[in-house]
Amino acid sequence: MTFVEYKMLNPFQRFAYNFKKFFKSIPGAFGRFFSACGRGIKKFILGIGKGFKNYGLTFVKGDWATKLSYLIFGVGDLHKGKTYKGILFFLVELLYAFYMVFFGWYWFKDFFTLGTRETYTTYDDFGFPQVHAGDESMKILLYSTLTIVISVIVFIVYIANIKDAYRHQIMRQNGEKPTTLKQDAQEFLDGKYHITLLSFPVLMIGIFNILPLIFMILIAFTNYSKEHFTLFDWVGLQNFGQLFDVINSNKKATTFMGIAGWTLIWAIVATFSNYILGMVVALMINKKGIKLKSLWRTLFVITIAVPQFVSLLLMNQMLQENGAVNILLGHLFNGGESMGIKFLTDDVWTARITVMVVNCWVGIPYTILSMSGILMNIPEDLYESARIDGASPVKTFTAITLPYMIFVTTPQLITQFVGNINNFNVIFLLSGGYPCNVAV
Amino acid sequence: MKKVLAILLAGMMTATAFAGCGGSGDASSSGGSSNASGGSSAKASGGKVDEAMFGDETDITLKVWAPDKGVSLAKQHIEEFKKMYPNIKFKKIDVVAQGEGEAATQLVNDPNKAADVFSFPSDQLNKLDAAKCLSPVSKAFIEDVTATNAESTVKAATLKDSKSKEDVLYAYPETNDNGYYLVYDKKVVSDDNAKTLEGILKACKDAKKEFVMDCGNGFYSCTFAFTAGAVIDGFEEDNETQKFKEYDEDEAVDTLMAFAKLMKEYKGTWKSQDPAQIASGFKNGTLGAGVDGSWNSVADKETLGNDFGATKLPTINVNGKDKQLISMFGYKYLGVNAKTKFPRTAHILAYYLASEKCQQDRAEKLGWGPSNTKVSETEFVKNDVTLQAIAAQSQNAVAQVNIQGTFWQAMGTLGNEMMKDGWKPDDKAATKKLLETTISDVRDEG
Amino acid sequence: MIKSYKARRIISNTLIYIILAIMCLIWVSPFAYLLLHSFRGEGYVTVNYLIPHEFTFKNYIDLFLGTGGDASINFPRWFLNTLVVAIFSCVISTISVLAVSYSLSRLRFGARKKLMNVGMILGMFPGFMTMIAMYYLLDAMHLTRTLVALVICYSCGAGLGFQISKGFFDTIPRALDEAATIDGANKNQIFWKIILPMSKPIVVYTVLTSFIGPWCDFILAKIIMGDDRANYTVAIGLQAMTTNEFIQAYYKQYLAGSVCVAVPITILFLRMQKYYVEGVTAGGVKG
Repeated sequence: MTFVEYKMLNPFQRFAYNFKKFFKSIPGAFGRFFSACGRGIKKFILGIGKGFKNYGLTFVKGDWATKLSYLIFGVGDLHKGKTYKGILFFLVELLYAFYMVFFGWYWFKDFFTLGTRETYTTYDDFGFPQVHAGDESMKILLYSTLTIVISVIVFIVYIANIKDAYRHQIMRQNGEKPTTLKQDAQEFLDGKYHITLLSFPVLMIGIFNILPLIFMILIAFTNYSKEHFTLFDWVGLQNFGQLFDVINSNKKATTFMGIAGWTLIWAIVATFSNYILGMVVALMINKKGIKLKSLWRTLFVITIAVPQFVSLLLMNQMLQENGAVNILLGHLFNGGESMGIKFLTDDVWTARITVMVVNCWVGIPYTILSMSGILMNIPEDLYESARIDGASPVKTFTAITLPYMIFVTTPQLITQFVGNINNFNVIFLLSGGYPCNVAV
Repeated sequence: MKKVLAILLAGMMTATAFAGCGGSGDASSSGGSSNASGGSSAKASGGKVDEAMFGDETDITLKVWAPDKGVSLAKQHIEEFKKMYPNIKFKKIDVVAQGEGEAATQLVNDPNKAADVFSFPSDQLNKLDAAKCLSPVSKAFIEDVTATNAESTVKAATLKDSKSKEDVLYAYPETNDNGYYLVYDKKVVSDDNAKTLEGILKACKDAKKEFVMDCGNGFYSCTFAFTAGAVIDGFEEDNETQKFKEYDEDEAVDTLMAFAKLMKEYKGTWKSQDPAQIASGFKNGTLGAGVDGSWNSVADKETLGNDFGATKLPTINVNGKDKQLISMFGYKYLGVNAKTKFPRTAHILAYYLASEKCQQDRAEKLGWGPSNTKVSETEFVKNDVTLQAIAAQSQNAVAQVNIQGTFWQAMGTLGNEMMKDGWKPDDKAATKKLLETTISDVRDEG
Repeated sequence: MIKSYKARRIISNTLIYIILAIMCLIWVSPFAYLLLHSFRGEGYVTVNYLIPHEFTFKNYIDLFLGTGGDASINFPRWFLNTLVVAIFSCVISTISVLAVSYSLSRLRFGARKKLMNVGMILGMFPGFMTMIAMYYLLDAMHLTRTLVALVICYSCGAGLGFQISKGFFDTIPRALDEAATIDGANKNQIFWKIILPMSKPIVVYTVLTSFIGPWCDFILAKIIMGDDRANYTVAIGLQAMTTNEFIQAYYKQYLAGSVCVAVPITILFLRMQKYYVEGVTAGGVKG
């Protein structure tokens, strides 16, 4: 289809066309993904080979100080006059040795068994129980993971130390002087400024996000459960097998599939209902000729400012069988008698729809805010020229406003979709997950 | 903000990983050497022991958890405890407020930072045991504790050690009152009406008032199953699957149908709500009666004043026969943290706090139902309407121990299904299927 | 068919006004309900009518002076704790976010694309996965039961939320950097003296979002604080008031406390709304 043909389609046909194109492209994307993976693995293996080669070659070519750097960090740098860096390298080795002796090894040695000693009780001569604590698999696993991560980092430093030693050896052979601390500091504010900026955040993310994530992923390969609470063991892929064992209708599998299905429905409905309704309200507020724009926006925005645990627990109270909503509806439609609708406790789908509606109440203001900003940002001259060409308001909307907004907000839409899959607080605070029913 | 919130709040999932409800039997902990029988010369009775029993513990630092309302009384008890042993050097014994419902979760999360002696309800016993957080009752005190406390309370805290197959008493009985019973407004429901469920509902409907019983919460709605005869009885051999006593299925189905019929007939009168709303309901004048927990009795009493009525749960008419409602009933215990640095002192203190004297104080000042048989017989307890109602209901109840985590949700669903507008009370086949599903869900049979 | 364009517009505008008014009523009424009932004098938990019969300041007075006993409900202290945590975590978060987004947006280095991808992937994992591990790590550092732990928790992952401010930095023309480089400025000076002063909306946006976080979380904070009630934040404290143990006596105080948390944040938010909109919009343009 040529560009001109495309332009001649109406919006719905365009949508259908794009929809088809998107799904057609999926197999190709998968293919590209796997071939990229393959290339990555190949590159990785080649990289390792090259690394080994360099490792050996450098040792052969290196002078005594470079050779000694293979054992003691920083000797090469110290010998070549790059004192501060040599000391830093050496300190890393020293600290690592301390860490391993006093902490790391103690936990890591049990990594493969996750502990074997059980807790047991004995009684002393007065009959008092003495509880002898056994191994705690949880701690062994966590601190072993920490040790592994630290070891990998130290290994990287080790390689850097060798490379640096060799680089300085070459520099000396060429008669160059190593840079001073002051020059290096200058460089960290300019050419290597990204290192200065990124080191702190990356360190924080590494320790408190990535490390725990690896740890929790490892837990998926153990039999940690209430039967194996303190002392658990590796079980390989057994948990995954049970989770996807739909053929034997394993209870875990059916539960998981049911929940996953509902989660998908929830994520789609929650994301798009917020998006579309929010867009409509934003358009209304920003329509030419509507006054008090900021007041309308402000009233909606209060929902964002009030902490969700306050507003959602409040909603929960109001949606009870004789809560405020039922009383209000009763006043309006039932002559003062409470309606007694069980929004959250009776039927699964009633509860689900209630949760989705309340989610709109929570989420629409976010969409309104970002959409309002975008609407104000659309260049006025676009509309101007459209008007000169005699386009109707409907036409301007479908041809300028809508495509622009969708284009700009697509990344937000994706983030929101992922956020809704992981969304927990709306449902938890509102209904606590009741009435429990895993079927879709 | 949304992201931060999502990340942080979502963590509750993990919190439940920490704190899965219920728990199973002990997996592995040895009863240890039983060579030690109570100390040769040391004697323990009535909460007091020989000072020799403290052994070499000195500069003692302990932390005690008590629920908010009990903190000041616990402090007073600890002062008395210190005075009892003038030659022992106590450095510091802190009392920290900690709700009982959460005590086990907090303890399992981090035993090293938790209290040495703490109060907890019986349903948490399995969880604490599975996490190896409890130091069992000292052999020096077992005899006295068993002799002075109600048999049911002691029995509920006795678990079989999976390895040695010995019975081990894991905690010191503290109260015998963790359950629910009937509260009613005497202006609406007469004492006579309060005896039958039909009578209560009719009286409430006539007075245009409501009757509150939470049917969506397994803790309350298990009453339907228990009354029907489907009573739980510990675990099967595998120490994991919930065991049910044998029951007559026809009668069970009839009983459930009788409940459902009343729900239908008194729709609008019988409300399924959190018992926390009961005191408010009395205050607003919308409520005639309710099934409420012992922890709310102070507020109920305060609201109704002289019209406050409390008694055991009523009966229900099944095929012309009045059947007593069977409820879930729990106890509270004092446990000793297995990680305590002063195990002897911690045990002696727990023993004292569970003694007759302390139970008497708590009954009088806090209204807690005693487990001590002597205290149960005192004038004060005999004259307290609430305590009597609780005690009467405890005769018709199932102990809240050895309950599998799957129990609560399945029982909640049972109540919810029957309470639904679309439920047909006279559909025998559907009722039978509901009962079967509930039981198989509790037993986790896929 | 309405002939006059003007007439048609008036009708459509009136319709919009009506719809907006109804919607705003729906959006605001829960908070009106909250505000009204925080002054309620009678009843324990909920009541079966909309407008309280008896208005009183007692709930607020009790909340701040404490109703005695063992004072384990100490709202002023919790408020102060939360404020301190919010300020510190907001400073650290803002620095992290700005540093990460600036480097990923305006500096060119080898691992840039890779870091961005890793950041995206990490953002896909549900955050609650890491909670147990987080607790043990903090425990190993002897930080549990302290406010420092909370500051760490709330600011550690901040760097991952770089997308919006990166989008904002992307919109600033690169010619500015080039001109400054020619004038002899290094990258540090460009960041502090040229880009940052132009980035008020995104700085305010980041500060605002990270300041609000600590007021809202109670699950992680609860696990970290355990039984140490003196170190609670308002969110844990208020949540505790709705548990079985306290709800009868403290429900109205809970409503009052919720108002006390919501009002300052709302005011802050409304005052900063302009920047928030600018920040989120500019950031959204490039995603």
